[in-house]
Amino acid sequence: MFDVVFRNFGFLMGGLWVTVKLSIFALVGGIFLGMLVGLARLSKKPWVYYPITGYVNFLRNVPLILVIFWFYFVMPILVGQAIDPFPSAVISFIVFEATYFGEIFRAGYQTISRDLINASYSTGLTYAQTARYISIPIAFRRMLPSLITQSIVTFQDTSLAFVIGLPELVRRASIVDNLEVRSIQLFGFAAMVYFIFCYVGSRSSRHFEEKSRKANIL
Amino acid sequence: MIEIKNVSKWFGDFQVLTEINETIDRGQTVVICGPSGSGKSTLLRCINGLEPYQKGEIIVDGTSLNDPKVNRYKLREKIGMVFQRFELYPHMTALQNVTLAPIKVRKWPKKKAEEKAMQLLERVGIPEKAHSHPANLSGGQQQRVAIARSLAMEPAYMMFDEPTSALDPEMIKEVLDVMIDLAKEGMTMLCVTHEMGFAREVADEIIFMDAGRIVERGTYEEFFNNPQTQRAKDFLSQILQ
Amino acid sequence: MGLAYEFDWSVLWRQPYGIWLIKGLGLTIMIGIIAWVIALSLGIFVGTLRVTPYRGLRFLGTAYVEILRNIPLLVQLFFWFYAGPMIFGETISRQINQISGLNIYVAIVGLGLYTSSRVAEHVRAGFASIHRDQYQAVLSTGMNQAQMYCHVIIPYSLRLIIPPLTTEFLTIFKNTSVAMTIGVAELTFQSYRIDADTFHGLEATSGAMIVYLLLGLTVVRCMGLVEKKFKIPGLVGR
Repeated sequence: MFDVVFRNFGFLMGGLWVTVKLSIFALVGGIFLGMLVGLARLSKKPWVYYPITGYVNFLRNVPLILVIFWFYFVMPILVGQAIDPFPSAVISFIVFEATYFGEIFRAGYQTISRDLINASYSTGLTYAQTARYISIPIAFRRMLPSLITQSIVTFQDTSLAFVIGLPELVRRASIVDNLEVRSIQLFGFAAMVYFIFCYVGSRSSRHFEEKSRKANIL
Repeated sequence: MIEIKNVSKWFGDFQVLTEINETIDRGQTVVICGPSGSGKSTLLRCINGLEPYQKGEIIVDGTSLNDPKVNRYKLREKIGMVFQRFELYPHMTALQNVTLAPIKVRKWPKKKAEEKAMQLLERVGIPEKAHSHPANLSGGQQQRVAIARSLAMEPAYMMFDEPTSALDPEMIKEVLDVMIDLAKEGMTMLCVTHEMGFAREVADEIIFMDAGRIVERGTYEEFFNNPQTQRAKDFLSQILQ
Repeated sequence: MGLAYEFDWSVLWRQPYGIWLIKGLGLTIMIGIIAWVIALSLGIFVGTLRVTPYRGLRFLGTAYVEILRNIPLLVQLFFWFYAGPMIFGETISRQINQISGLNIYVAIVGLGLYTSSRVAEHVRAGFASIHRDQYQAVLSTGMNQAQMYCHVIIPYSLRLIIPPLTTEFLTIFKNTSVAMTIGVAELTFQSYRIDADTFHGLEATSGAMIVYLLLGLTVVRCMGLVEKKFKIPGLVGR
């Protein structure tokens, strides 16, 4: 019954690979940019805080599909020539997801109490050493569950790159569907793949959270 | 010697320290007490440069904190500080908490740092907890690790900011015992505390602060048996209940 | 940097493009509101299921939530739209596919289902944050479980979760844009259509972004009024 899936397995898996590639780029860029955004949102300098806050609040109110389109239209103008959907999608995702990761980092940085940092300073450690050995490792462990949850959301969001023709999993499933009209099997298959990845991802995150809670190193 | 000359500090419009004058000689133990909000903790943090002050001068062993070129980190190596909520690094074991600064700041090799750390942990009475994480230690044990952590940098001065206020009553004694030993060995100590038993045993001077000012000072006997100001009398009657 | 691109912002109001955008906005709002009603009712129901003392019901609730939130909305819409009719067999599916506006109905139901799983999670969190003693206090006055939930717990926890529900309401309007992939002519679709016609997609999408922003502000303002009206005195608010 699922032979349409098996017959086109290579093609469909190629789509999964594009999805995974896009997700990895989006996550690496989004997390890195998010770290900077989070720091900026804690800044006391108005010329840093207000523009970044404006950017975060703006993007969180707009649909991702629209952002994907916007970059797809803007990039050729800036670059001067037509652009591939993949790089355009990568940039859209990095800019968009960084707003969510930024909020996670901002909340994470704030869980480090002032006196913990003072305690580190009073043993003679510098700002940089305190950040490296104390603040960042502790904040990171506390943020890890949220980071994983948001990563799963990003992984799901990559399906929206469909609209600029990116040959990821869903688009490939619908290409095959146009030919063979086995919608239940094809989209059911896509649904299952996403479900497995995301369910396993969130389960392991919960498991990790339980484990570190028990080991009390949070 | 720590000299505090006419120091005043504001948080915005609110004046939190007003014309504080005090000298602490080597080997002395000074206890600061007073109602909450009187600026005691803030004063401690001004001394090791964690908080800035707007007027006056603090001089530690000849180095003035007003000097813009002063190296605050070097200064903090000289002055150890113990906090009310212990503030141990939760992701490190007790041993790692103690060895971090000597390794990263003094550049000691790991072995030397660990030997010294174990000595200190023995001195505060919990060598067996060296490889435990703070969450697996009682409050009293955590505070003793915090004291060992500060001592690891071989400071000339030790400051304590209400070290026993966050502890259950059964654990206060173990921490105070460590502090009393330290004082008797000749460490110069500046303690913000309400533990008058400790003050009676080792304090050379008691300072009473209220609303940002030093209102009274004297020896333990002078302060307790003959408080001069009304505010000091009120405070004493409250804590002696 | 000489850009060889001439901006043409009039695509936002020139006919027929202005009308397209307005119609698109209208569809966005309608889909969003109806889907939200579905999401709220189903979400409260499923969220309550997950805290009942019956393991079977709890499992059903958990399965519902886990399936709907681990599959992207796009895949769900595609599944219901393309595969959905086929479940009923050849003949009926052909009839279903004749229904005009099918994609709008599918979008509303699909979006409603997807969002209901998220609402269910918020509802469950709301219940969990109510102290256990509160439950016992209500039961000790003689009410049974169902009455307790209906008259005390649900109204109370709903007020607690108004902030996260506001976020979900905002999200639902943003998610209506996914319906464009099954041909629903909502706001995002229209801005894309303007590009197909005029090649000035940048202006069209920028304009659409502003509209979504205004829509979001309106939603936040409305939910703020709701929160004020149902405020529980003494509870720490935002």
